[in-house]
Amino acid sequence: MSEAGPVLLATALLKDYPMNGETVHALRGVSLRVHRGDYVAIAGPSGSGKSTLLQLIGGIDTPSSGSVEILGTRLESLKDRELTRLRLTRLGFIFQRFHLLPVLTARENVELPMAEAGLGGAERRARARELLAYVGLGGRADHRATQLSGGEMQRVAIARALANRPAVLLADEPTGELDAATGQEILDLFRRLNADGTTLVVVTHDQRLAAEAGRVIHMLDGRILGD
Amino acid sequence: MNGLGWGVKSLARHPLRTALSLAGIAVAAAMLLDMVMLSGGIEKSFSEMLLTRGYQVRMTPKGTLPFDSEATISGASRLVIALRSEPGVEAAGAVLGTSLYGRASDSLVTLFGYGIEPQAQALYQLTAGRDLARDDTSGILLSEPAAGLLRAGVGDTVTLVGRLDPQIAEAAIGRKLLVRGQVRWLYDYRGQPSVGTLLPVMQRLARQSSEDRASVLMVKVRDDALVAVVAERLRQRFPQLEVNSVADLVVHFKQRLVYFRQLSYILGSMSLIVAVLLVATLLTITVNERLGEIATLRAIGVSRATIVRQVLAEGAALTFAGATLGILLGLGTARYLDAILTSFPGLPAAFSFFVPRADTLTFAALVLLITGSLAGLYPAWLAARAPVAATLRAEAT
Amino acid sequence: MIPVSLPRWLGASGLFCLLATSPAAAQVAEVAIERALARELELSVGDTVRLGTAPDSMDRRAVVAAVYEPRPDPAEIAKRERHLRMHLPDLAALLGVPDQVDRLGVGLHPGVSADSAAAALNRTAFGFRAYPSSAIAAESSQTFLVVSRFHRAIAVITIVASAVFLLCIMLLKVEERRMDAAVMRFVGVRRRTIFGALLLEAALVAAVGSAAGTGLAFLAGAATNAYYRRFFDTALTFSQITPQIVLFSVLLSLALGLAAGGLASWRLVRTRPMVLWGRG
Repeated sequence: MSEAGPVLLATALLKDYPMNGETVHALRGVSLRVHRGDYVAIAGPSGSGKSTLLQLIGGIDTPSSGSVEILGTRLESLKDRELTRLRLTRLGFIFQRFHLLPVLTARENVELPMAEAGLGGAERRARARELLAYVGLGGRADHRATQLSGGEMQRVAIARALANRPAVLLADEPTGELDAATGQEILDLFRRLNADGTTLVVVTHDQRLAAEAGRVIHMLDGRILGD
Repeated sequence: MNGLGWGVKSLARHPLRTALSLAGIAVAAAMLLDMVMLSGGIEKSFSEMLLTRGYQVRMTPKGTLPFDSEATISGASRLVIALRSEPGVEAAGAVLGTSLYGRASDSLVTLFGYGIEPQAQALYQLTAGRDLARDDTSGILLSEPAAGLLRAGVGDTVTLVGRLDPQIAEAAIGRKLLVRGQVRWLYDYRGQPSVGTLLPVMQRLARQSSEDRASVLMVKVRDDALVAVVAERLRQRFPQLEVNSVADLVVHFKQRLVYFRQLSYILGSMSLIVAVLLVATLLTITVNERLGEIATLRAIGVSRATIVRQVLAEGAALTFAGATLGILLGLGTARYLDAILTSFPGLPAAFSFFVPRADTLTFAALVLLITGSLAGLYPAWLAARAPVAATLRAEAT
Repeated sequence: MIPVSLPRWLGASGLFCLLATSPAAAQVAEVAIERALARELELSVGDTVRLGTAPDSMDRRAVVAAVYEPRPDPAEIAKRERHLRMHLPDLAALLGVPDQVDRLGVGLHPGVSADSAAAALNRTAFGFRAYPSSAIAAESSQTFLVVSRFHRAIAVITIVASAVFLLCIMLLKVEERRMDAAVMRFVGVRRRTIFGALLLEAALVAAVGSAAGTGLAFLAGAATNAYYRRFFDTALTFSQITPQIVLFSVLLSLALGLAAGGLASWRLVRTRPMVLWGRG
């Protein structure tokens, strides 16, 4: 990977999928370039294709045409196992509904990607505690996910996303399930993350969050209206 | 473990559901264990019972099994002498079995009599008093039920009456004998009142002495490995007799109880199917409920292999816990079922249908664990194939 | 050569050997042999056999006068014994025990109690014992009573296993409807209506399952009978599904299905809709 090159490069992405017998054109030729340290917000109304774009650049879904490169690696050339490994080690995901495993504690949720990456028990426990402290949940490490508030769950999800030191953090409506005050805490955390050097791509309806980002991409009907 | 035990821990999310599944698997496991015990226990118990005294070969009248008919062998003493001279034979003895009467106060009670050779016997174990000497023609051994019926103990005198002759309306032969010892007859059914005397004494009581008759000849082979060879040689030398090694008798016995063996296979298979269905159904439904979680895990980079391992571990944990409970339950139900089946009329009291053994328990547990774990394959496959993007889209709505 | 025996109920019994041989001489005894024995020795009516009490003394000749199908007897099927019938004097002569029998049958005048007749005989007779036929029947059916008790015990275990299985399936089935129930609650459908709908669904599943299970049981019973009849070469019925059994099974599974469905539905309708929806 070249230090000067983009962390993320999406070129002419098209995504069609069938729905109730008709073809939905979710993306109609979207290109995007994200550099190290960028804080990008993708905004737009529901159905504009922003979540689909996030899934394509996160290697969760495959485009109908076009290409995605993460740190110079073209995702379409990867086998499923390699793509999974790339998501594990190079990308961090944050979801609107947190998606923590309710049977695990906050610490175990954060440890999970590290365990999958093969880190030893002691090392991953130490890093999980460090990350939980970073997101302000040092005292809640041994609480189960179900015992946490919405904001706390999202902060655990952020710690989980950071576990394997990803090159890019991808967030899909991270404040969508939170009240204004709690949402603000997440915005503050994102700002701190970006200040500490984390590259962020955030899909959002939240005007405050869009305002926080250094760069805002507006989407409508599967196209980028403005960048 | 990569998934930090996520699969196994998920079992605690629905306690009622998990408890019901465990109960179902436990009952199925109990049934499976019982049926495994039944299928192997019959022959093992029978074989052990026959080998209690180490005599590995039985010789009976042609076409019969030991004590299966009233047919007898003539010239027993001569045959025993011939058998003892056979190479490889360590000991041989003759036994005559007959029904006879004993006098208790002023009435007669029906007894079963064994005519034995104490120096070569495979029929009893002494529990009180002493054994008969080889020339003790005035001594008798009693089983506990016989002692009860005759109201006699060691040192008492009892009167035996042989066959009754309705033509002359009196006991043809009667004899007073001194009780030397109390014994447990190995092949007696529960409560069977049996007595034992020296073979010639019983032959006279049964009016079988003129032809020196015996019901069965028992042979102890010096080396267990040579039993089949010796049995075959005896078959050739004594074609007028049925020669059966314990292994042969087990085959005959298995044939008679084939119904129970087949029933055990059928019920054992059904138990396995029930356990597999339970595990598979539960896991399939829980996997479907957790598709969102699974899609999330896949999205954050957890491999399909880890997901599959977690689902299989969940199935294995469920089966293991169910099997552990099932083994305890199975041991209890086996005692109950054994009590029913051992009440078969005429079945030796020493015989068991359900014999708990380490190998049986291990086999049943392993079969259940393997099949129970395999039952997780389909839900694991479902989990591994879950479409990540579509599931996340659906979860977001 | 094959060892054969005569059934005790003929009056006398014995075990001896039989060998198919060349055509008959004059003054030979007649025997009736059972079908399986005739098939195994390839004998038919008119053939001559040699009989003896031991393989080395097969000195009696007999002609096969009849081949018969024995009455199916569950006590005999596993023994694989072969039987033949002959006239009592011929058998007594063969066994060398003239005028000796194992048992005698006694017919009573109408109205005479078998129990009292047997008791009277036992008071006066010497050397034998008299039993009413019912006592012998009860004694000889002991084996089947044991088998019957064993089957009942197995049935109880099976019912427990089935009940747990049914409860579990019903619980899972109802819980699958969480989202539907949540939506119904959101749009204002009453709890009672949802409960009724879920209960009806459980009843339908239990009814269809019972019907399928009954059909399966008949198929399994037919297969069991076909297999064991062939295995034991007998006309006995091994599996019999009576209307009472069907009724009991169907009612039990319906009751269990409804109870399990009701329990699970009750739990579901008591849960807050947002929790059902996954946002509680």
